[in-house]
Amino acid sequence: ALRGTLRGTLRGTRPPPALRRGLAKAAGPRSVRQLREAEEAAPVFQYAGKAAKRKDRVFVWGFSYSGALGVPSFVRPDAGWKKPRRIQPTPYRLETAEKISSAACGYGFTLLSSSTPDIIKVWGMGLNKDSQLGFQRSRRDRTKGYEYVLEPCPIPLPLEKPQQTRVLQVSCGRAHSLILTDSEGVFTMGNNSYGQCGRKVVEDETYSESHLIHQLKEFDSRVVQVVCGQDHSLFRTKKGAVYACGWGADGQTGLGHYNITSVPTKLRGDIAGVNIIQVSSYGDCCLAVSEEGDVFGWGNSEYLQLASVTETTQVNVPRHLPFKIGKIKEAACGGTGNIVLTEEGNVFVWGYGILGKGPKLIETAVPEMIPPSLFGWSDFNPDVRVAHVRCGLSHFAALTNRGELFVWGKNLRGCLGTGRMEDQYFPWRVTVPGEVVDVACGVDHMVSMVKSFI
Amino acid sequence: LNAASGRVPRQHVRFLPAPGDSGDTGLVAMRVPVLADHPLVRGPRFRRLKIGAGHRLDAKASGVFVLGIGHGNKLLTDLYNCHLTRVYTVGGLFGKATDDFSDTGKLVEKTTFDHVTREKLERILAVIQGTNHKALLMYSNIDMKTQEAYELAVKGLIRPMGKSPPIITGIRCLQFAPPEFQLEVHCLHETQQYLRKIVHEIGLELKSSAVCTQVRRTRDGVFTLDDALLRTQWNLQSIQKAIWDCQLKVKMELEKTLS
Repeated sequence: ALRGTLRGTLRGTRPPPALRRGLAKAAGPRSVRQLREAEEAAPVFQYAGKAAKRKDRVFVWGFSYSGALGVPSFVRPDAGWKKPRRIQPTPYRLETAEKISSAACGYGFTLLSSSTPDIIKVWGMGLNKDSQLGFQRSRRDRTKGYEYVLEPCPIPLPLEKPQQTRVLQVSCGRAHSLILTDSEGVFTMGNNSYGQCGRKVVEDETYSESHLIHQLKEFDSRVVQVVCGQDHSLFRTKKGAVYACGWGADGQTGLGHYNITSVPTKLRGDIAGVNIIQVSSYGDCCLAVSEEGDVFGWGNSEYLQLASVTETTQVNVPRHLPFKIGKIKEAACGGTGNIVLTEEGNVFVWGYGILGKGPKLIETAVPEMIPPSLFGWSDFNPDVRVAHVRCGLSHFAALTNRGELFVWGKNLRGCLGTGRMEDQYFPWRVTVPGEVVDVACGVDHMVSMVKSFI
Repeated sequence: LNAASGRVPRQHVRFLPAPGDSGDTGLVAMRVPVLADHPLVRGPRFRRLKIGAGHRLDAKASGVFVLGIGHGNKLLTDLYNCHLTRVYTVGGLFGKATDDFSDTGKLVEKTTFDHVTREKLERILAVIQGTNHKALLMYSNIDMKTQEAYELAVKGLIRPMGKSPPIITGIRCLQFAPPEFQLEVHCLHETQQYLRKIVHEIGLELKSSAVCTQVRRTRDGVFTLDDALLRTQWNLQSIQKAIWDCQLKVKMELEKTLS
């Protein structure tokens, strides 16, 4: 006001600008240039480098109260809010110390093995009532052993060169297990009431809390695959011969008689002189695949597994199964059904039970093909092929070359891993967060070895 | 439209006085057009047009957009109930993550992407396809225990015929030139924002980040890019021709699916 009166005579003068504070002008919408500059100035994060390796993981699912899944909190919750989980219906990650190269599911127990030169190469979890997981010393009482092992515990093997020998493969049966090494033969543990461990049957032997691990070395050449049936064991050697020992009442030892065998003996019959490249068994029936793509079977045939060659329900000598389905690459036997994979990538099933072709197909003696469209093949994806087939006691699993796992069969205590408790009559995808490399099927649980995506 | 020749006026027989003879009271039967059909009486044929839109296409996307005119609206409802798939070409860019998943949004994070290869991308796409195929079977509300469910699954005809979350029936990589890539997506019940979200999630799964630069619908049910009219062709003749060409296709598709 003072200024106004002093300069009242002057016209056209603007009042001097008001004093401004040091704060910047109002924010307002940023211009494109400002946005671009802010973007360029933002820091760049790196989550994975160029040489990032894919991680190896193990996923388990199925019945957990036997401890076979290896997660102790499912059986004995370690936090107040956790509840005991009887069944794990979807794949659950199992943390392992080393990369697991081979896994096998038995009847209520699991073996995991790694091809590491460390001293501990094999871990076991689940039922141990017959020392199928070796002797697990109890921490409460040093003289006793654990009957149930709830998390993967190392199995000490009596190796001569522990830091050089590598464990190639493990296999589990009903109450015994076999461990195959590259230079020290086969180690067997567990129940031996029928000679399935390859040693002489001792009358009234107590198998629980036993320290005995038997080593088998005398074969015609190096053993390259071990397979456990329910109460018998099969060994395949590099020269293509098959040896068997154990319970033989269904002829599953294939040695021409129905008695038990306690020393691994070479099989004859139709596979004499044939180069066998794969053997398979889980129940009481056995299948072998030769180099030329033929399949041979012996053992139990009550469920029409071998009905294409014989009417008898027990076959104790390996017989060639004359199927005209193409060159066979892989075979797997379950309790009542069998599955084979041909070179073209087609899957054939036969036997009894839920075979995978809808609820109408319950039994067949002749192999039936499962249409590839059920495994993800379509006009959009014509390269999808089944790469491996596996069999549990009453369910089947197939792995595609894309790393997807398909399961079907009886969903015993959630063993399929689909998240539901119902049986699955045709192949169904299991959602596993990774590319499935291998899967092991048991009676009521499954273990899968998975590689992460990136 | 109103300038085009309309319906031919109806004719009826009227008894009119005979022309020429004056004073003669004889009536002659003559065929004359009905006065009610005269253009000056009737007025313009089209005052308003009912136009309905097919599946939504948002402002940032482009491509085939189906419209129905008049009776076509009922056909649109029928086509919606057929639950046919739509095909999109989705373009993406690695290295950025924004809040609305497109390249015009606010920047959230920048990441490296030199570890991303075509093989890894295709692995992720295979997994997406696998889980969506499972969702396709689950949301179709068919009892999996029946023989007909098995037969439909073999033929690949199981589809959700009601409401369901967005499902991708097929996805593959058309071009891969880091940082840019282009995907072809076949989907059901989707929105374009969902596709942008999928691009973002693919980036996350590859341990990097991605934004969507382009969403273009190339097929909507039976209508492909070849049937679509360009901006320069939005005139009466082209529209009439397009409707005429598509009629047969739509009729056959409706018969096949809804029967």
